[in-house]
Amino acid sequence: MAAYFEINNLSVGFRTFEGIRRVLNIEHLTIERGETYGLVGESGAGKTVLALTILGLLPKPAGIIHSGEIWLDGEDLLKKSEAEMAAVYRGKRMAMIFQDPMSTLNPVFTVGQQIEQVIEQHERLKGAAAARRALELLEMVKLPDTRNMFKKYPHELSGGQRQRVIIAIALSCGAEFLIADEPTRNLDVTIQAGILKLISELQRDLKISVLFIANNVGLVNVFCRKVGILYRGKLVEEGSSAAVIRQPLHPYTQTLISAIPRSKSEKLKFASLVIKDEAEHGCPYYSRCPIGEPVCTQQEPMLEVLIEDHKAACFLAKGKLA
Amino acid sequence: MQWFLNTSKSLQPSIRELRLSFYLLNRNLLQRVSLLIIALLILIAVFAPWIAPYPSHAISETNPQDKLLPPSSRYLFGTDELGRDLFSRVIFGTRISLQTALIAVGLALVIGVPLGAVAGGLGGFADEIIMRITDIFLSFPPLLLAIAIAAFLGPSLTNAMLAIAISWWPWYTRIIRGQAISIRERQFVRAAMAIGTPMPRIIFRHILPNTMAPVIVQASMDIGGVILTIAALSFLGLGAQPPTPEWGLLISTSRTYFLNAWWYSTFPGIAIFITVLVFNLIGDGIREVLDPRTRKF
Amino acid sequence: MRKFILRRLLLGGIVLFGVAFITFFIARVVPSDPAAKWAGPRATAEQIARARIELGLDRPLIVQFGKYLLDLAQGNLGYSLRTRRPITLELLESLPATIELVLISTLAAVFVGIPLGVLSAKYKDRLVDHLSRLFAIGVVSLPTFWIGLILQLVFARTLQLFPLGGQLSTEIKIMMEIPKVTGFLLFDSLITGNFTIFTDAVWHLVLPGVTIGLYPIGLVARMTRSALLEILNEDYITAARSYGLKERVVLWSYALKNSIGPTSTVVALSIGYTLVNTFLTESIFSWPGIGSYIATAVIGLDYPAIMGVTIFSAFSYVILNLIADIIIALDPRVRT
Repeated sequence: MAAYFEINNLSVGFRTFEGIRRVLNIEHLTIERGETYGLVGESGAGKTVLALTILGLLPKPAGIIHSGEIWLDGEDLLKKSEAEMAAVYRGKRMAMIFQDPMSTLNPVFTVGQQIEQVIEQHERLKGAAAARRALELLEMVKLPDTRNMFKKYPHELSGGQRQRVIIAIALSCGAEFLIADEPTRNLDVTIQAGILKLISELQRDLKISVLFIANNVGLVNVFCRKVGILYRGKLVEEGSSAAVIRQPLHPYTQTLISAIPRSKSEKLKFASLVIKDEAEHGCPYYSRCPIGEPVCTQQEPMLEVLIEDHKAACFLAKGKLA
Repeated sequence: MQWFLNTSKSLQPSIRELRLSFYLLNRNLLQRVSLLIIALLILIAVFAPWIAPYPSHAISETNPQDKLLPPSSRYLFGTDELGRDLFSRVIFGTRISLQTALIAVGLALVIGVPLGAVAGGLGGFADEIIMRITDIFLSFPPLLLAIAIAAFLGPSLTNAMLAIAISWWPWYTRIIRGQAISIRERQFVRAAMAIGTPMPRIIFRHILPNTMAPVIVQASMDIGGVILTIAALSFLGLGAQPPTPEWGLLISTSRTYFLNAWWYSTFPGIAIFITVLVFNLIGDGIREVLDPRTRKF
Repeated sequence: MRKFILRRLLLGGIVLFGVAFITFFIARVVPSDPAAKWAGPRATAEQIARARIELGLDRPLIVQFGKYLLDLAQGNLGYSLRTRRPITLELLESLPATIELVLISTLAAVFVGIPLGVLSAKYKDRLVDHLSRLFAIGVVSLPTFWIGLILQLVFARTLQLFPLGGQLSTEIKIMMEIPKVTGFLLFDSLITGNFTIFTDAVWHLVLPGVTIGLYPIGLVARMTRSALLEILNEDYITAARSYGLKERVVLWSYALKNSIGPTSTVVALSIGYTLVNTFLTESIFSWPGIGSYIATAVIGLDYPAIMGVTIFSAFSYVILNLIADIIIALDPRVRT
């Protein structure tokens, strides 16, 4: 298929004291050029692992890629050497924004220096030319008083400002694919909106594809056209954000969506806290699923198209629509 | 980002961790060999009079007709300027080094630990004073204070041990104080305070036992350094006095002769080196294992 | 920032005061008969009595301490029992030679130790790491005075590659005129263009330099390694890699700059160790520095000299640590 970004049968595990634990099991995920894809999952679902795997930054001895392909514009990233990833892909063709803007900026370099370092690496600009470009980028992310901002150290900036700087660094060399790993998680609610707006505008203006990772559906609905639900490393539902929110097919998605109150009169619907035994070879969600049935414990459901472009991995959902 | 590396960053090792570290320590070849060598050294120290071929040479007897002989089957390490068997003397030196190191460290602990417990447990003014004193003592370059104290107390092995204890205690006080401060905030201490338990009892019954672990670890790591210090003091003439077969003293005496009697300086030095090395290796191993971040999975 | 420096200076002053007090305590209060110690082991009863008056031992301790501090402030450390000359003068004479050694060891520590530590951290748990860690631990376990002797034996006596000791060969000392501009032999011979003396001096520096440089290299390498390992685990390193920064840049520029704090501390610590290590090595190599001075003083029970060197070394160490602390304060994070 000629999708711009495509993941096929990706299986990633982690070495722990107790053995190898599987953290990612994604059958199929595609993002078109210029498309925004929101990936939603709770803490521990594997979202950051996915982001690191795509960039080839899995921690070395601990993380293992069992199998799979990650295609970016016709090339399988998993087959690329480390040197090639650093020189050609990271920063230049794809970039990442992280969750915690304080810890992802180097405390001993100024904001300007950090942008310049990346520009000098990829664009072969030095000195004044690099500085000028850095200032342009600071303006692009709507930071005020760019000349002064240039000379500041990360700890002198507010959270929102730091995140803007990181966005500037990430997009400094013309990346067409941006992975945003919960970029607003550690920010105040009021600042969150600003950052989301910025990302959304940049996405439109620069025509980049965005993989937006979040832990609640509401965030993603704001500007992602497509949405995917990740549970314990497995993609359990995928479709256009409108469709998924209007009619969630997978029980997990339903729980997520019902947790958002939509109007003042609507009472909060909590899913009952169901705790069953794990299903060894069955559906990973079985232990928390309110409607689990024996068939769910025998086989793992595959992600299949159930309504048009709307996919889900659930036997019961499939059965209901058949 | 570190959600999957969910390790506890608590600095205070629990008993379980210590047991775990001992287990992990055993798996590394280098550490295993070091442990073995330490056990060997302890055996040598304890059974010195039976292992040494000429035990009397280590104490007072001299043998002038065999002076400065190179190593042979009779005298494994050769002889010194008074004809004494160097091998026997080095063996007895093991005993001296280990003994004095233990005593010196023990003394330092006896001084430093209670001070640290009081400083951390009481806080406030006592803490300030004790910390200032600690800072001042720590402002001396290592060894210098020991040299000065040993010089003015009078050169002897006992005074050297005392001197070392006096210059070493501040390190332990600092560690204990840090631990005590964090323990002080814990529930069971607050509970004891609420019932009205007098402070000294709280400090010594509740706080102190829980702070010992890291300091014990540190003390064992220090033994290597202390052995080196004692040798250095003796080398300068401030520690062991002749005819005590302390390693540093042996090296110092050997200086006059060693250009023609290479064995005289070499073997005691190797003894120091190996002893300090294995203690340092073990210490390093312990430290590495207790830090959850550098642990391999 | 300024406030921090001021506060640190004040603290340093208090510490210096405390150091003076402790040395005073050791020299006057601890010994059973300080006058006897001051007068030396071969003093007559009359000399001891005179020493008693000179030290003001009949006066209350506070007054003694006051006079002591006053003397210190004027740079008066008393007179050596052995040579009868002012100790301060003798110390200043011996200082340059020791500074040469300390300088060499610090340079070694920085330019050999730091790269070793970085490589060790980068190739963690591989052969390079194990070898360099073994080296670092080994070197830190070596008794300095012993390795000096061994080096002398092997390289000077057996292989005849380097001189046995001293700063210059005797022939040169007799035949040539030694330039004395700053007192630093290497520097002086360079600027006066006297290359024979210069090469001779360098040749003489090798063995003592290696002896005294090993320990700091080990210390700094170990510290750099552990500091760097911590830094490499930080999020901003992963972020830097995600921007495609070359690994070489990430390591030697991005990561290393963050380790300036702990590195300065350990370099200051190693200078302190080196200072004391000179006490152990200089007499072996007949190096005319402070170390030889104190070694001779100890053997001859020259107590005023011993005390003088102690105070001097302690003060230098305190000031050194002060400088290190100020360097650390230059870290932008501390600026707030």
